[in-house]
Amino acid sequence: MSTSQAIYAGWMEIPTSAVNEDARRREEDAAISALVDQYAGALYRVAYSVLRNPSDAEDAVQEAFLRVLRHRHTLAEVRDHRVWLIRIVWNIVLDRKRRAKTRPETDDVVELARVLPSNGLSQEQMAAAAQHHARVLACVEQLPAKEREVLLLSAFEELTSVEIAAVLGLTESSVRSRLFRARNQMAELLDHERSSHERSCR
Amino acid sequence: MNSNSHNPMASAANVHSGEETLRLIASLPAPQGLEGRVHEALRGASRNGRVLAWPKGAGSLDSLKNTWMRTAAAAAIVFVVVGGGWGVYSRVEQGHNGKVIPMPLRTPAPGGFSGAGAIRTPTTLPGVTVTAPAKNAAGQKKNAKVPSTPGHPAQQPAVASGSAK
Repeated sequence: MSTSQAIYAGWMEIPTSAVNEDARRREEDAAISALVDQYAGALYRVAYSVLRNPSDAEDAVQEAFLRVLRHRHTLAEVRDHRVWLIRIVWNIVLDRKRRAKTRPETDDVVELARVLPSNGLSQEQMAAAAQHHARVLACVEQLPAKEREVLLLSAFEELTSVEIAAVLGLTESSVRSRLFRARNQMAELLDHERSSHERSCR
Repeated sequence: MNSNSHNPMASAANVHSGEETLRLIASLPAPQGLEGRVHEALRGASRNGRVLAWPKGAGSLDSLKNTWMRTAAAAAIVFVVVGGGWGVYSRVEQGHNGKVIPMPLRTPAPGGFSGAGAIRTPTTLPGVTVTAPAKNAAGQKKNAKVPSTPGHPAQQPAVASGSAK
């Protein structure tokens, strides 16, 4: 007697809880799959802005979705999936950055020259632009962690200050005050950096 | 202080260029095929997870969900655990009676003195007998006569020396 015949015969029974479990699991898989299609790119950009390494950023995105898979039962309780996912990947990249060694500026120059759009610039102009961006990033690295995090997230146009506050677990007013401080400190650092660069050129 | 720090326009331009860099990096496109690779990683993790998870699935393992089977499994586990525990307990009891030698109680000596670690010697061994040599015995006899000489200072009474003065 095959399994289906046995079921129809009535003496072998599949409990309804198992059927519901399977259906629920299939729904969760479909939901996670939709989240990957929708937000993997955004999460990659967030991860890349901190790690500035393509493979590390991709690893971080994969780890974020694996965490989602592990906590799939909480998916239904999440109100804003985008902010939730950005928060997960943000914590992952901060953790990785903490563990990694300090990134040398030359790595940034090489990487930026590779990835930034050329927009019809010559090779020399491209190299100069990459150096400038790398210097800016070095200044960003010198900022205190709280201000740096807010400044990095504010660069994402799709994130409002309320969403940045949700990602960082802060209030909106503290996000704004940190952003204000970060901009001031950044101006000082860039001024200092520029003047020392001019002095060295003379 | 440098001249630029006094120039708010220059500072604003600096900040603007700095934020422009961050915005440029934030808008970089994701690599091709990222979603596919993430899907693949999730599928792999999901497959591995099912191997490790408790079998809730289909087919012949469905019978495990039955209550009587669970009860039988629980009873078997309890039986094994209790039987093993009883076996260990009973062996420990036997060993205790056969092999452990009781230590004698150490009672403090009367009068506040301790025994200084002295232990009683068993009487089963024959004691060493020392025989005194003959010469020594003769010498002892001679020495015994010495105190009886009248000139020995030890024999003079203390009262006599005091009265001589």
